[in-house]
Formats: sequence, structure tokens, C-alpha cells
Amino acid sequence: MKDLTGLLKSVLKSPLKRSAGHLPFDAVFGLFREVLGNNNRSLEIITDMGDKLGGDYIFDINYIKGAYAELISAVGRSINSFNALTQNRYSGIHDAFRRIDGQLRSLIDESPSPSGKLVIPYEDITPDMEREVGGKNAHLADLQNHLRINVPDAFVISTAAFDEFIKFNGLNEKLRSNSLPKPSLAGLQSLLINGGMPPSIVSAVDNAVIKLTEKHGRGFTLAVRSSAQEEDGDFSFAGQFETVLNVPPRTNSITEAYKKVVASLYSPRAIAYQSQLGYEPAQLKMAVGCMVMIDAAVSGVMYSTNPYGDRDTLLLNASWGLGEAIVDGRTDADFYIVRKGVTPEAVISKAGKKDVMMINAEDTGTNEISTPDEIRGRLCLTAGQIVELVNLAGAIEKHFSRPQDIEWAIGGNGRIFILQSRPLKMEDNVRDNFTGINQAAPPEHTLIKNNGIAVQKGIAAGKVFIIKKMDELENFPKGSILVSKHDSSNFVRVMPYVSAIITDTGAPTSHMASVCREFKVPTIVNTGNATQILEAGQEVTVSIDDGGITIYDGIHSELLRQKNANSPNMVSIHEFRKKRYVLRYISPLNLVDPLLEEFTVEGCKTLHDVLRFIHEKSVTELIERGRESASRLKDHTAVKLDLPIPAGILVVDTGGALDHVGNADKVTFEQVQSIPLKAVIRGMMHQGVWHSGAVSLRAGDFLSSMMRMTDIVNESGEFVGNNIAVASREYLHLSLRFGYHFNMIDCYCSENARNNHIYFRFVGGATDITKRSRRIELIASILKEYGFNIRTQGDLIIARLSNISQEETENILDQTGRLIAYTRQLDAMLHDDGIVEKYAKRFLEGKYEL
Amino acid sequence: MKQLQIMVIDDEKIVGDMAKMSLEQEGYLVETFLNAEPALARLKERQFDIIVTDYKMKGIDGMEVLRTVKQLYPGTKVIMITAFANLDTAIEALRGEVHDFFPKPVKIKELKTSIGRALSENK
Repeated sequence: MKDLTGLLKSVLKSPLKRSAGHLPFDAVFGLFREVLGNNNRSLEIITDMGDKLGGDYIFDINYIKGAYAELISAVGRSINSFNALTQNRYSGIHDAFRRIDGQLRSLIDESPSPSGKLVIPYEDITPDMEREVGGKNAHLADLQNHLRINVPDAFVISTAAFDEFIKFNGLNEKLRSNSLPKPSLAGLQSLLINGGMPPSIVSAVDNAVIKLTEKHGRGFTLAVRSSAQEEDGDFSFAGQFETVLNVPPRTNSITEAYKKVVASLYSPRAIAYQSQLGYEPAQLKMAVGCMVMIDAAVSGVMYSTNPYGDRDTLLLNASWGLGEAIVDGRTDADFYIVRKGVTPEAVISKAGKKDVMMINAEDTGTNEISTPDEIRGRLCLTAGQIVELVNLAGAIEKHFSRPQDIEWAIGGNGRIFILQSRPLKMEDNVRDNFTGINQAAPPEHTLIKNNGIAVQKGIAAGKVFIIKKMDELENFPKGSILVSKHDSSNFVRVMPYVSAIITDTGAPTSHMASVCREFKVPTIVNTGNATQILEAGQEVTVSIDDGGITIYDGIHSELLRQKNANSPNMVSIHEFRKKRYVLRYISPLNLVDPLLEEFTVEGCKTLHDVLRFIHEKSVTELIERGRESASRLKDHTAVKLDLPIPAGILVVDTGGALDHVGNADKVTFEQVQSIPLKAVIRGMMHQGVWHSGAVSLRAGDFLSSMMRMTDIVNESGEFVGNNIAVASREYLHLSLRFGYHFNMIDCYCSENARNNHIYFRFVGGATDITKRSRRIELIASILKEYGFNIRTQGDLIIARLSNISQEETENILDQTGRLIAYTRQLDAMLHDDGIVEKYAKRFLEGKYEL
Repeated sequence: MKQLQIMVIDDEKIVGDMAKMSLEQEGYLVETFLNAEPALARLKERQFDIIVTDYKMKGIDGMEVLRTVKQLYPGTKVIMITAFANLDTAIEALRGEVHDFFPKPVKIKELKTSIGRALSENK
């Protein structure tokens, strides 16, 4: 990767000081297009890497090095253009880029530089830190950080601390003497239990405890658990090491528990187990997790796939109180066999006697008590909790690509926490004699065949859930099939729980597509009409393979069963997992919603985030520069647009917007060549939307507008009275003022869907704030129907939409043009809340009379 | 029926591991080697039905593997894979009677098809 050094230096060292003054608009526009071009190239490479590292290809490190060299160079070029465009306003992008590049390089060169930290909170753990935090902690942190599954707050005393502890107590030599006889083992354990703690570890633990106390107050205790380097990886080490429960959050109690856990690495039983696996006694290091104890009402264990029988079922044990009773086999727990699938259902529910249960002791440790009579023989779980657990098990199994043995607990507030997840040993799958998956289902049940573009292969079944507006994601039922008109990076919020995604429009290299590959969610985009063919609640099976795309009506369990038999489980190959880790710093998307506060340069954790940030801020820059240009250029180069409606628009042509010869001072609609401008005007001129009669203001409205005149003038600055469009063939920045309100549209509309965006802003009005707010509500409810992401405040609305095809963009711009015309004076008529919905509905039906 | 035997030689462990997993799934017996020397020693002990070898390796390279295989077992098919795909490599490999030639990353499905074809030609 030496050849990259030059480019990186240019990116990392380019001057950060901002130059004075602004670039001419055509230069701004040129840079914006450069950013888009480089971003697209970067996303294509990310797509290719996701594909090649997905398990369908045999690859080697040379491929990764080559692809990464191309990727980093494309992202670097994008940053260079971005910095020029924004005149280095976002200097933090350098740091983010440098940090991520550093992480990736150390992964690719296999020279991971351990952080050397003695104590690491779960939120700071990344998958490449497995050797520092141990397998168990790495897996749990991964569930928390990557899948956003509830895991109790925790920190890890790392293997670096272990080294320090051993050294501090002068035990290095003793451990190096390879064959430790049993008596010497006992001696070693006692030396560790009675050993001193290095002050550096004590202080690091102190800090971690302070942080937990800030969040949880004083009323919490910790579970101090082993997490040896290889634990819960290929070997489970189940029950080999010590766990100390209910430890008070005091540093000395924690370090005492720590020593006990570390010493258990050298118990005769653990040593025997390690040597069976081919480990020398001194070879393994121990990290220790300190996790906030859940005061569990119910706890249990589940096997995400039944290892003994029907693989479409899951095994579940549950008991009152802490899970220790089940793990240690001290109680006769409830036992469930649950059929997985679209509507999980317990096929066997057997209540255990549960004579005893474990609870946290008053001081430290746990107590076994006799289970109260009224709950003793009762089943611990509700049907809803079972469904929730099955969905979690499904998401975790899918994430680790193999069946899991999962410990869980339900807190007093009903929240489910995952306490441990490790691979479950299964017998090898018996291969079925089948010749092709698509033959399994009768063709008459086919709903969609070879329509759309496959983004991620796979087979999935579930109930259709059609998303029309982004806020409906809140109610997305886990395990459903997400069907939507557009693709959206917002879907990342439900990604671990989606069975499949099908969209009408979209491209295989969108932000969403990249995330779907990351999460291995079977995905089809650009079907054209899936939202019309599929019905909400309908059960369907999606099959995407080399043979094509098929969506069947109903659940084809045979097809689902064949799914596992058909694909070799590459994830079980250690080298494959290790090499694929690079994608963790490349593909995931953490910056989802630009309207949220965490959409910052500091929030960039992957190259995908960097690209997303650059794209969004480039659009913002373009809007800002478009606005300035509009005001600067209007007196010099603007041409009046001669329309049958009195919209009073001046056009500044920055290239290809008008078919306009010589010095004519006006142009007709027919001469407009700008795709987005033409679409908006077409909408504004649509029959019946422009109401020319004046709407009478009530006395209060009139006063209100008089009172606010200064505000409005100040807010709009020099724009008052000028409607102006800065446009090129594919770009439009339109500022409109009608009466007392202001509209702004910024849009890029080209053949490449990923480049396209619409930004819409509406503020003000002549009427009182209630009516103006009602108008905003009406606009919001209409724009939501077109898939806009919306923020409103009082009489202001900001709406954004991106990654839409040219045809769709034109259509939405046409509707937006109609909306601008239609709502000009509508606020005066919005006398009550109920009427808002009525007008919105009528608008969407194409009925524009007031 | 006798299980068909495939040898995979590549100096990167992941290539052998992935090839082994995907080809064993098809019912083949697969042995993997990280360099050519022990692989050729093994070839002297027993015949394999197909050899999948990396082109560029330290020490003995893929072309030499090909020559040795052709001397020992003229009927055994050799599939060459390489990270450094260019026309010259391909031509050289094809002149040396290689059954197939794949640039890496190798699509597993295509490798399986190629192996299937080689075996049916062998019959």
C-alpha cells in the first residue's frame, strides 16, 4: 500500500485554514459534482468488497489490499473535493478519516496494535479487540454496539491488565515453566488470590466504577465474570472458570473478585481442559468482565436452534430469579420447545417445579431461597416474552451465523437483557437431495418473479409490513418483511430484526443496500411495484439466489429448511472471520438521520459514515451557496420567466437551464431545459392549483402579519419580493416568497438515483401562529406521503429526500410545485385542526379546489 | 462410490480453508497445502483427481506444480488460481495444459462448475 502514501499525505496534510471569500457558483457546482462522483466510486468499491467477502468467493489478502487501496484513494479524493467545496469548514473529517484508516491498516497488515488499556467499557470495544477483552466480552459488546441489543452496562479488566497483574506479583517465571505439576498449581492459585493489585489497575477500575455510579446511582452490584481469550469462541470453556455474583461497586471488592476469577484459570480442572484443547498453561490470558447485575424477575437459557431435533424449533429454559439456578442445574426449570418462524409459538410448555430460586444476597453473593408458593409451579414466561426471546435469538444466531447458546434475564421493568452468547455445538447438517431451491414451491404461488435487482441473496419468510412514512418504523414488528416504495438508510434502525427488504425503487449501491449486505438481510430493490403487489400482513417467502428473484405467496417451510443446507458456513472459518472484520470499519452506517444531533464528524466510525457525512454536508453547502448566488447574481444575469401564472420567477442559468438566445430578457416555459425547474413549474401551473382570488384575512391575522413584518423582513434579508431560481440542467435552487411566507427548494435531479436529493423549506405566513402551524402540519402530512424525512417547528418545516430515481424526483417535484401553489393562501382557511386532514387528503386525491 | 480427491495449494490459509469448506460440501475429499513442496511430496504418495494451485508462490510456483503433475499423472487436471491476473500469466498457464484459470477472488460456484467439468472429462 506504499503507493497510497502520497495521496493520503495530500488528504491528511492539506491546509486547513479557510480561504477568504466565496467561490463562484459554477466552481462550487463543479466541486459538488466531484464529491458525488468520488462518493459513487467509493460506494461501488464498498459494494464490491461486501460481495467478494460475503462467502461466495474465495479471496486472499491481495484482493483486500488492492480493493482497499482503491477505496481509500476514492474516499481521499472525495475529501479533497469536499474540503475545497466547504473551504475546510469541517476539519474534523481529517481526523475521522485518519483514525478509521489507521484501524483498517492495522487489520489488513495484521499488525493490530493493542490499545494497551487496562480497563475498557463495553461501548469502546470493537471486534478486533477480542484478544484484549476475551471472547465472551467481545461477543456481548458486539451485540450491544452493532445490533443494539440490551446488554447490561459493563467494563472489562483487559488481558493487558492481566499481564500487569502477573508481572506485579513476580509470577512471569513461574508461568513460563511449561509443565506445572498439580501441587504447584494450587500454590499458584493461592499466590494469585493473595496477590497485590498494581496501582494502575486499581485506579482504572476506580474510574470505571465512578462512571457506572453516575448512571446507576449507588444501588447496583456487579457480576464479575471470566472472559479468557478463546472463551466462547471455537471452544466454550463452559463452566471452567469462576464467576462472582453480586459484587458491591467498590474497587477493593471488585479487585478481590477479580483475583478469584483470574486464579480459576489455573484450577486443575481448567488446566486439564486447556491441555485437552492443546493449550499450554501459560498460553491463555484472562480478561474479566464486570457487568451490572440485573435484578432478574425471570432468567434462563435458550438454544437458538434445537440441536437434538427439529431445527425449526428453539429450546428455552426459564426460572424465577437469577439464572444461576438453571446454569448450575439446581432447579427444575420451565422447559419450552418453540416453533420459530413468522409467528413463534410454543409447541411444548412444561412448567418446572422450581422449588428453589436464586436471588441477590443482602451484602454480596447470592442466596438460594424457597420459591414462593403462589408462583412456584407457574410458567415464568408470557406468550409475548417468548416471541421477544425467539426474535432476539434469531437476530443473534443470524449475526454470528451459527446457532447460539444464550443466557438472558428479564429485569423488574420487563426489559430483556442478554448476558452471554456462545456458539452451540451442533451435529453436522444432513444434506438433502435437492437440485434447486426454486423447484420446491409450486410456480402458481409466485407473486414476483425476476423483477428488481438482487442486493443480498438469501431466503426469508415473514409477514409483509409496508412502510409509507419513516415514523412507522417505530412500530415495525420484528421478523417482518419490510416493503417500501423507496429505500432508506433509516431502515438501519430495524436491520437486525428485518427478515427481508423489498423496495419499488432504489439502487444496489445505495447506503441502505450496503447495510443490508453487512447484516445479510435478503434484499431486492427496484421491483417497480412491490408495494402494489404485496399486501400488508400477507405472509410471503422471498428467495434470492443465483437463479434469480422469486417472491412466493405464503410460507414455504421446505424452502427455508433448505436454506441452511445449501450454503457452506464460511463464518465458522477463523481466517474468514478475521479477514472480513475489515468490513466493520468500512460498510456499517452509524450516521443515519441528518436531522439528529449525532450526525457529526465525531460520529463517523466507518468509511461509509465519512461518505454519508460528506454527501450531506456537500448538499448543505450547495444550498447555502445557491442561496447566496441567487441574491448576488439576480441583478446581473437573471432572466424573467414568462408564465401564465404570476409567479414572478427570475432564472440565473449556471449551465444548460434555459434554451435562451441572445439578450432576451424573458423566456417561456418551453425554453426551460432544467429538469428540476421544469418539473416544479409544471406542478405550479397544474390546472386548478393556483388560486388567484385573494383570500380575506381576519382582523387578527392581519394584525399578526403587521406585527411580524419586521421579523419576516429580517429573516429573509434581501430576498423579499424576489423569486429567484439558480439552475443548471440537473440542479435547481429556488427561493420563493409569496405574501408573508417563504419557500425554498434545492434539488439535484440526474440519471443516477444516488446523486439525487430534494430539500424543501417553508416558513412564515400572514395569519396567526395557530393557522400557520396548521398549514405546516398539512404540508408535513402531504410530504410524508412522498417519503420525505421531516422536521417541523412552529411555522417552519424542513423536509429532505434523497436517493430517488430521476423519474421519481421529477414526479415529486411536480407535486411539490402543486403544493407550493396550492398552499399559498391556504392558512387563512384553516380554521380548525380537523380541516387539515381533509385538505391533505383532497390534495393527495388531486382535488385542488378550496 | 469412491469419493473424489482434490488437492488445494495456496500460500494463504484462507484460500485453502474456504476451498475445503465449499468443496467438501459437494462431497469431495479435500487436502490443503500452504506451499508446494509438501504437496508434491504427497503427490508422489498418491494420486488426486484435481489439483487447484496458486500460480505465484514462494519456492516452487504453480507452473512447476503443473509440470510435475503432468509428469506423474498426465490425466490429472490442474486448475490455476492467481491474484495477479494478466494476459501473459493466462497464456503461459494455458500453454502448459492447465484445465482452467481463475483470477482471485474466485467465485466458488464457477470453481465448482469447472471441477465438475474436469471430472466428467476424466471419465
